[in-house]
Amino acid sequence: MTLDEVTPRITTFISESFLDGDPKGELTESTPLLEWEILNSMNSALLLNFLREELRVDVPLSSINAANFRDIAAISTLVSGLVAVPAEGV
Amino acid sequence: MEFDWSPNQRERYADTSAAVAERFAEHETSTDPESVRLAWKDAAGIGLTGLCLPREHGGAGLGALDTALSLEAFGRSCPDMGLVFGVAAHLLSCAVPVAEFGTDEARELLAGMAVGDLIAGNAMTEDEAGSDVGRIRATAERSSEGYVLNGEKSFVSNAPVADVFVTYAVTDPSAGFLGLSAFAVPRGLDGVVVGPPLPKMGLNGCLAARVRFEGCVVPAGYRLGAEGGGGAIFQHSMGWERGCLFAAYLGLMERQLAECVGRTTDRRQFGRKIAGFQAVSHRIARMRQRLESARLLLYRACWLLDQGRTDVGAIAMAKTAVSEAAIANSLDAMQLFGSTGYLAGAGIEEQLRDCLPTTIFSGTTEIQLELIARGEGL
Repeated sequence: MTLDEVTPRITTFISESFLDGDPKGELTESTPLLEWEILNSMNSALLLNFLREELRVDVPLSSINAANFRDIAAISTLVSGLVAVPAEGV
Repeated sequence: MEFDWSPNQRERYADTSAAVAERFAEHETSTDPESVRLAWKDAAGIGLTGLCLPREHGGAGLGALDTALSLEAFGRSCPDMGLVFGVAAHLLSCAVPVAEFGTDEARELLAGMAVGDLIAGNAMTEDEAGSDVGRIRATAERSSEGYVLNGEKSFVSNAPVADVFVTYAVTDPSAGFLGLSAFAVPRGLDGVVVGPPLPKMGLNGCLAARVRFEGCVVPAGYRLGAEGGGGAIFQHSMGWERGCLFAAYLGLMERQLAECVGRTTDRRQFGRKIAGFQAVSHRIARMRQRLESARLLLYRACWLLDQGRTDVGAIAMAKTAVSEAAIANSLDAMQLFGSTGYLAGAGIEEQLRDCLPTTIFSGTTEIQLELIARGEGL
């Protein structure tokens, strides 16, 4: 997936799942997700599940670090660079 | 879709169960550290301390489902659930991350861990950080010799008998839970202080204590994974623990159910077996139904792990189902055994005490339900 496709999907997921839809529209691509604890351990697990189930991207454990998850721009760059895993049954 | 066990799985389960039954037939749960260590040697002799560790390090190289089946056999045939829990926690929350993320230096510990010569304790929980690992206060600061650890862990299973700890500490305070790093810490290092055994309600064969790191210098080679990779490593190890460890409780429930069937068919009241009363027989039926429901969820969660598909919801459902079934079935067993079950010594009240913490450790039921609910988009 291209960066332009990935970024809005991830932004929408974070906004709706972790910020009650971000009613004031404050979430940007450079919002510090870790520093502001928007991405805590539980939310990160949910985000990784979303990436796997919805975007078909399996993030290797070695790539789960602060640099890759500090903001939406970094996550989108990471995800767009990973090859989508093939669809599987439930 | 295939629900049957393979011939290899049947054979391994039967062999493990028989070996455990033989070694632990006369075993009595003890809180004496030396006796606990001797029990560990017996478990290690059957290979239970290294089930899923790589063969080149002395393990059996099993996947998650096969590991779970072996732990189920352990729980079925060994009434000392504290020992079963301690061995499984050592394997899943400590040895697994060392095997998968350790440097060659850290992996040198693995051979000892696989054969049970080195007992490991998972030092994560702190007074202010249980489910929320982002609240951890222990720190690891870079030094010329590696890292200097400071902080106190509040509940470390196996600690009084442990030779090595797998611990987590903050290396980057600005990065939340991704600012944690994981370390293997040999107990012999200066600055590792293990507290006295904590008095507990159950799982008495698993000693637990607080562990304090006081300026403990840990060589960089004992860091597991990358700096900042601790949060992900911990979640990975919890996937294994929530999936595989709880299989031991399937084994406990299987043994308990057999005991209840025996009890209700042997005991007669009003001129008939008490199993002849529907209030009794339906209780047994419910116990079986809960056990099998939980079993299917756990086997599927482990199968997904083996496929490389770490499914948070599937693991959370399995963990919740097994723990709630274990408690519900233990309460049923208590009722079926009546006053005999309430007396210490028959094993029934011990089962209940050993099952009660399952909805707390490895992630509370509340957190598992939150994960499941939020996976639904709530």
